[in-house]
Amino acid sequence: MNPEAKRLPPAKSVGVRQPLVDGVEKVTGAARYTADLAPRGALVGAILRSPVAHARIRGVDTSRARAMPGVRAVVTGEDCAIPYGVIPIAQNEFPLARDRVRYCGEPLAAVAADDAATAQAALAAIELDLEPLPAYFDAKSARAEGAVQLHEGKPGNLERAVEQTFGDVDGGFAKADLVREHAFHYAEVNHAMMEPNAAVAHWDAERGRLTLHSVTQVPYYVHLALARCLQLDESAIRVVKPFVGGGFGHRTETLNFEVIAGLLARAAGGTVRLELSREETFLTHRGRPETDVRMKIGLTKTGAITAIEAEVVQRGGAYAGYGLVTILYAGALLHAIYRVPASRYHGFRVYSNTPPNGAMRGHGSVDVRHAFETMLDTMAGELGLDPFAVRRANLIDAPHRTINDLQVNSCGLGECLDIVERRSGWRERRGKLPRGRGLGMACSHYVSGSAKPVHWTGEPHAVINLKLDFDGGITVLTGASDIGQGSSTLISQAVAEVLRLPMSRLTVFANDSVVTPKDNGSYSSRVSFMVGNAAIRAADEMKRVLVAAAARRLEVSPDDVEWNGEHCRVAGTDRELGYRDVVTEALRDAGTITVKGTWSTPPETQGGSFRGAAVGTSAGFSYAAEVVEVEVDEDTGMVRVVQVWVAHDCGRAINPLAVEGQVQGSVWMGMGQALCEETQYLDGLHVRANLLDYRMPTIVESPPIDTSIVEAPDPNGPFGAKEAGEGSLSAFLPALTNAIADAIGLRLDELPASPDRVLEAIVARRRAERVRRTAKAAAQEAD
Amino acid sequence: MERLPAFELKRPTSLAQAIEWLAATPEARAIAGGTDLVPNLRDGIGAPPVLVDLSRVPGFDAYEIRTAGARIGAGVTLARLASDAGVAAALPAVSAAAASIAGPGHRSVATVGGNLCVDTRCVYYNQSEWWRKSNGYCLKHLGDTCHVAPTGTRCHAAYQGDLAPALIACGASVELAGPRGTRTIALEDLYRDDGLAHLALEPGELVVAVAVPAQPRGAMSAYRKARARGAIDFPLAGVAVRLAVDDGRIAAIDVALTGTNSRPFRLAGTAAWVGRAVDDGLLAELGKAVQKQVSPMRTTVTQSNWRRQVASVEAQRLVRDLAKVAS
Repeated sequence: MNPEAKRLPPAKSVGVRQPLVDGVEKVTGAARYTADLAPRGALVGAILRSPVAHARIRGVDTSRARAMPGVRAVVTGEDCAIPYGVIPIAQNEFPLARDRVRYCGEPLAAVAADDAATAQAALAAIELDLEPLPAYFDAKSARAEGAVQLHEGKPGNLERAVEQTFGDVDGGFAKADLVREHAFHYAEVNHAMMEPNAAVAHWDAERGRLTLHSVTQVPYYVHLALARCLQLDESAIRVVKPFVGGGFGHRTETLNFEVIAGLLARAAGGTVRLELSREETFLTHRGRPETDVRMKIGLTKTGAITAIEAEVVQRGGAYAGYGLVTILYAGALLHAIYRVPASRYHGFRVYSNTPPNGAMRGHGSVDVRHAFETMLDTMAGELGLDPFAVRRANLIDAPHRTINDLQVNSCGLGECLDIVERRSGWRERRGKLPRGRGLGMACSHYVSGSAKPVHWTGEPHAVINLKLDFDGGITVLTGASDIGQGSSTLISQAVAEVLRLPMSRLTVFANDSVVTPKDNGSYSSRVSFMVGNAAIRAADEMKRVLVAAAARRLEVSPDDVEWNGEHCRVAGTDRELGYRDVVTEALRDAGTITVKGTWSTPPETQGGSFRGAAVGTSAGFSYAAEVVEVEVDEDTGMVRVVQVWVAHDCGRAINPLAVEGQVQGSVWMGMGQALCEETQYLDGLHVRANLLDYRMPTIVESPPIDTSIVEAPDPNGPFGAKEAGEGSLSAFLPALTNAIADAIGLRLDELPASPDRVLEAIVARRRAERVRRTAKAAAQEAD
Repeated sequence: MERLPAFELKRPTSLAQAIEWLAATPEARAIAGGTDLVPNLRDGIGAPPVLVDLSRVPGFDAYEIRTAGARIGAGVTLARLASDAGVAAALPAVSAAAASIAGPGHRSVATVGGNLCVDTRCVYYNQSEWWRKSNGYCLKHLGDTCHVAPTGTRCHAAYQGDLAPALIACGASVELAGPRGTRTIALEDLYRDDGLAHLALEPGELVVAVAVPAQPRGAMSAYRKARARGAIDFPLAGVAVRLAVDDGRIAAIDVALTGTNSRPFRLAGTAAWVGRAVDDGLLAELGKAVQKQVSPMRTTVTQSNWRRQVASVEAQRLVRDLAKVAS
């Protein structure tokens, strides 16, 4: 036994500010991302994209391309007749368009060639025969009478209409002292994650097996789609997720290029590297849809909500993707942040000739939250209430079941409010700032994983395997996709905490389908909560094995063993055993030890029985409150964010360092949508598919973010933890626009608050005031 | 962004050789920092068979600042220009303009000459080959229609360089060298209000250096650019002002603009303000003059009317601020 180890106290890992376990590789550049992985000699893949937004495909002539020297494969829609899609009941997308193209940039054909120049020349040699069809770039024209249907059986181009009523809505509005209704418009936004899309596919022609490396957040879903579209047995496929440079929801479903890479590799009988440009990555889209929200809220004099009604129209793009989940989220997450006694929701998800939308950080909840919190702010003003008071008048007292059957078991929103109110100096400073400066606040929340997975199999929600071998090292095998958010670190912390071992004993091995247990993926903030719980259970099991071995060696009952990680002892005595001796004993006769931990959401958190009830359900909700201070230049419309105060209830900060990073990242991403980010199409062509015109904030715009962590432990959470990566995004948008209203008394009905929009609104207000003054003067003269 | 097309890289070691090589191949392009040219080439805009690298031309990156004036070599990097205390003291507008361009990485290689000769920009032009082809190309490249003003006959792509207005306001001239010898012209005369051919350079002709005369006594200059973000972006409108105030009255005023037209230009009619005080009336006239003389078109994703209004606002603010400092 190592005498040093004996003196080590049991290791503490949870609650420790733990630098990410894979951070060194990232900052030194040693980390290899998908595009770094292609072996020498790999073929170069390239995709031919539709030049038009909507057309019938009369022909795709690839004969000239196929005849070119150096071209190893050409694939078209003919090569895959099976549609895929993340939602089993809404699979209507082909990796390469068949019969019809429905958006500018949709893949029509792909080639694999010896080099990039040949691949490009081959694309140029493919002849398209396309018969144009009317195209629709906004929800209104797509829904108009007589509009051509993008998909059969979807009249009015409605992918999904949702009608949900809970409680006595009309009675609620009748009881209210103040009822207001307002319409808002939100531009479409995109994830713009740092790493562009890429995949490397290898076809083993001898054995008929496919290996795919991709930038995905959901290797399991990619695996399923590859098997489906390539008609392969699932066991003939291996999916590996290497280092991934962000995702934010872009990669939470199988994307066309992943299937195309597989088709090309098989057709070429070799390895194909498919790297998408930034523009192509933008065209793959899956961002937050252009959305119209009409919100109606009833409040009592004291600010209590009596009823709400919301109509949400989302321009969903050309294919289903996550669409029906997004439109359901927008309705479901009107709840579970405040007490709402009655609600009515009308949701319309509309097909359009734009790239398909999908899941994006804060999925479905962000735009409706802006509308909701904006109206609470204006109505608070009308009622003479402080914006904080209105929120406090509606706080949830957990445990609480919402009228749409969401189960809230913990809620730290009240404490979040107290903290940001105090730290921002709200009471002292609000209303006393010079014109042009303003303070605004808002709240938000999010799920810690969907309590019902989109793909129901009956399997546990999460599985972790632990392997202990002769060296005393424990390998944590997980299918959870670390995409930069720090899940591998968190899982490692959870295991180390239970075993009371230093993290240096652990190695996390993630995301290779032939080695790691299946995981649904990194989306809807499920990993910390679900995989964290599975990690605890796996570690509990490993601890049981180790304690039993120690008991054997010490010749006592396991109950008498006091487990302290690097050493253990017989309770109440000084008879000790070092960790390595315990391992030796445990492996005697048994050999390498593998244990497993699983976790599933409790049934009571899985929602009600109405249609669409699964969406929005979660075993734990996170909460956030934010105050934003702005400075508005009324001559230019420029809005500067001076400072942000945010408090986020994550139940328990397993890694406070990572929580702060996630919360600040959420605030920052919300700031992008609120201030300057938007996509834009000219006749269906994406005008802003680059990082100059898709204007993410730069470091110059990045304000100081005062971050507070609130811990309202959730009974279901691992160590009480809930999600930290999404919940504080949506509060930023209304907090910002509420601050603009405080600064200059102006309310924008649309986002982003880009300088041209803000100035236009200011000029329009001045004009209206002039007209009013003139009319008043004229009226006085007439008197 | 696609891969660069194949080209031959020539690396002349004298100005004469550079000019000779440029003149020998009509489609040849000069390259220094490459921060403008390379992204365009990657977007499939042009495929010059020859690139003439100017980095080894002796004296190309030389510059001197004297009381008698400044001479700035075309190869001087923007980072060097922006960090030079002498430039900051003598030509604050130029210093500020240099510091505001793109990001630190770009400035470390981008040059004065490259920024002065930066290509005009447009949302219909600065796109990928696939995009432009899908849109039927445009007047500036391979097409015959300006999508910004389809009924017109000219290209409206906007000039969005930052250094030019600052240097124009400070009275700069440019030294050009070409197959037919050297010449020096006023900087504003380097530009034409035509997005398709905005540089008045002869074939094979190069910008060699910028000469800035000694600034009038008491003259101050400044530059401001309007953009959605505080870094990276090109100016949606940029204004440079040089102002000399004597005893509360304007002794000299020069205003130059960028980002709004196909060329940077000197605001006309400013001489009429000499002798006047900088007051609300004058500022209103200035604002109106700017609004009238700029002609932003739908070449950016930001509304053109905003660019017009903000050009006017920033011009007024600059003059007011400089006058305040003077008093």
